[in-house]
Amino acid sequence: MIQGQIDILVYSENIHLQAELLAGAKLKTTGKVALLVMGRAAGEMDFENINADVIYQIQDPALLKFNPEPYTDALAQVIKITNPRLILFGATKQGLEVSARLGERLGLGIASWCVDFNFDESGKEITAQCMIYSGIGLNRYRIKTSPAILTVAAGVFETDQDSGKKPPLENIEIDLPDPKVTVLEEIDKLSSGTRLEDYKVIVDVGQGFENRDDLKLAEELADLLGGAVSCSRPLSSERDWFPEWIGLSGAQLSPRLCFTIGVSGAIQHMIGIRGSDVIVAVNNDEHAGVHLQADYGVVADLYDFLPALIEVLKEQKVGLA
Amino acid sequence: MKIIACIKYSLDVSEIRVNKDTTELSLAGVPKAVGNIDGNVLEAAVAFGEAYGGSVHGLSYGPSQAKEAFREALAMGLEDVTLVVGQEDEPFNPSVTAFVLAEAIKKIGDVDLVICGEVSDDGFTYQVPPRLAERLDLPQVSYARSIVLDGERLIVERDLGEGAQKISSPLPALITVTEETNTPRRPTLMEAMQAKQKPVHIWDLKNDLGLDDEILEDKEHLERIDTEGVIVSRKQIKLENMESRELAEKLIEMLKQDQVIEGKSS
Repeated sequence: MIQGQIDILVYSENIHLQAELLAGAKLKTTGKVALLVMGRAAGEMDFENINADVIYQIQDPALLKFNPEPYTDALAQVIKITNPRLILFGATKQGLEVSARLGERLGLGIASWCVDFNFDESGKEITAQCMIYSGIGLNRYRIKTSPAILTVAAGVFETDQDSGKKPPLENIEIDLPDPKVTVLEEIDKLSSGTRLEDYKVIVDVGQGFENRDDLKLAEELADLLGGAVSCSRPLSSERDWFPEWIGLSGAQLSPRLCFTIGVSGAIQHMIGIRGSDVIVAVNNDEHAGVHLQADYGVVADLYDFLPALIEVLKEQKVGLA
Repeated sequence: MKIIACIKYSLDVSEIRVNKDTTELSLAGVPKAVGNIDGNVLEAAVAFGEAYGGSVHGLSYGPSQAKEAFREALAMGLEDVTLVVGQEDEPFNPSVTAFVLAEAIKKIGDVDLVICGEVSDDGFTYQVPPRLAERLDLPQVSYARSIVLDGERLIVERDLGEGAQKISSPLPALITVTEETNTPRRPTLMEAMQAKQKPVHIWDLKNDLGLDDEILEDKEHLERIDTEGVIVSRKQIKLENMESRELAEKLIEMLKQDQVIEGKSS
C-alpha cells in the first residue's frame, strides 16, 4: 500500500473524463491523487501518461459488465482501504448512478455537477460550486461529510498533456457478493462514431428542421468548415434522428464556432454549447430565447438562409481562421 | 402487484431569470408543477399496471400547495397520491428526500416496483433514485428504455449513454425512466372528471412517519453557502430584415472581423 494519506480518489469509466478529473485533482491538491481502475479497463490499460501518484486496480470478472451493485460494493471497500478525503466521479450515466448509491451506503454528501471545488486552508473542509436548476444557477456548498463525493462533467477541467508519468500499480483484492441484478447483454450503441469534442466547428440542429432529409443542409455547412453536426435532445429522443445529443444530459462542447439552428434556446440544451467561442443562432422567431444567448442572432427561415449561407461561403472560399 | 410512481412538484426552470446586475436568481413567481419527466414516470407505471395487473399509487415529498397539482397525474391512471408534506423543499438535499420517500414506501408496505424519473429539472442531482434504492435495499435499474415482466423477473433495456444493457432483475425493484422511455398518454375528458374524485392523502413528517427535524437535519450532507445565476455574456447582435443572401454576407463579414473564419483565396 502506498505510504501517506490519499487526498483524492478518481474514478470514471470514461477514459477522457478520467484524464480530466486527474488533471483537476492535481490542480487542487499537492497531496496524493489515486486513480481507481476497474471493469473492462482493468488489465487492458497501458497506464502510460497517467497523472496520478498511484493506480489501484481491481480485476474481478463480476465488474466486467457495469452493474451498480458490485460496483458500489467495490467502491465502498476501496474507500475503506484507501481512506481518501475526496472522491471524484465523472458525471456520466454510470458515474451518477453508482456514486449516489455509494454515497447513501456510506452516508456521504455528494455535490452533483460540480464546476469547481476547493479545500479550505485547514485542508479539512471542501467547498464545491455546482450547477442547479438545470444549469441556470450555481450553488456553492460546504460538504459536511468526510470523505466528500463530487460528480464532474466532461470539459470542466482541461487534460494535462503527456504527464509522462507511469505511476505504481497496486492490485486490490476484494470480495463481491452476488448481485440481485444480472446483466444479460451489453449492446454497443449505434454511435455516430464522431467525437464531437474534437471538432472546432459545430452545426447544432433543433426542432426547426422539419424532415430528416433537410439535415443535408446542416451537413453541407459543417463539411464546408470541417465541422460536425450535433442535435438537441428531442431530435434524438422523439425523432430518433441521432444516437446522441448535446446539452446538460448529453455532451458539452466548446468549439471555436457553433451554429445553432432551429433551436429554441432552452437552458438544458444551451449548456451543451455555451463553452463555444462564438455562437451564431438561426431562428425565424425574433423572440426566441436562443438569440439572447448568441453572439449573432440571424432572424430568418433556415430553409432560405442556409442555402444562401452555403453559397456565399463557397464563393468566398471561407474556412476556419 | 403494487407500483409506486415517485413524482415531484418542481420549479419550471425555463421561467427562472437571472438579474444581470446582481447575478441573483429570481425565483419569485416562478410556477411550480409536477415535473415534465414525471409524465414519463406515470406512463411507465400505469402501462406496467395495465400489462401485468396491479394498483399504481403516486408518492411525492413537497410543500402542501402541491396537493392541487396532481389532478392530471391522477387522470393518467393513479389510484391515489400520497403527499408527504415537508417544509418548502430545498432542491439540494437529495439525501433528505430519499430518506423521506424510503420511510413513506416502508409505511405504504408490500411495494413491488418503484418508478422514478432519472432526474428533476430543478434539483438536477440524479441522486434521489439510487439513494432511495440503496436505502430500501432494492436492486436499481436506471435509465430504462423498455420494461417487461417475464415470470418473476423484470427484463429491462437501459441506456448508458455510450452503450446499452439488457438486464434481469427480481422484484421488488426500483427503475428510473428518461424522456426517451415512452410517450406520456393524454387523459380523456372522462378520466379528467373522474380524477377529481380520487384521493390525495396528506402525510405529516412527524405524525405519520415519525420523523422529527433532528433526524432530517442529520441527513443534510450539504450546506449551501451562496447561489448565483449564470450570466450569458454574448454579443447578442441581431441580423434581421434582410434577404437571405444579404444576411449571409453580413454574417460572414462579421465572423471574419472576429477572426473566426477567413477567405482562403483573394
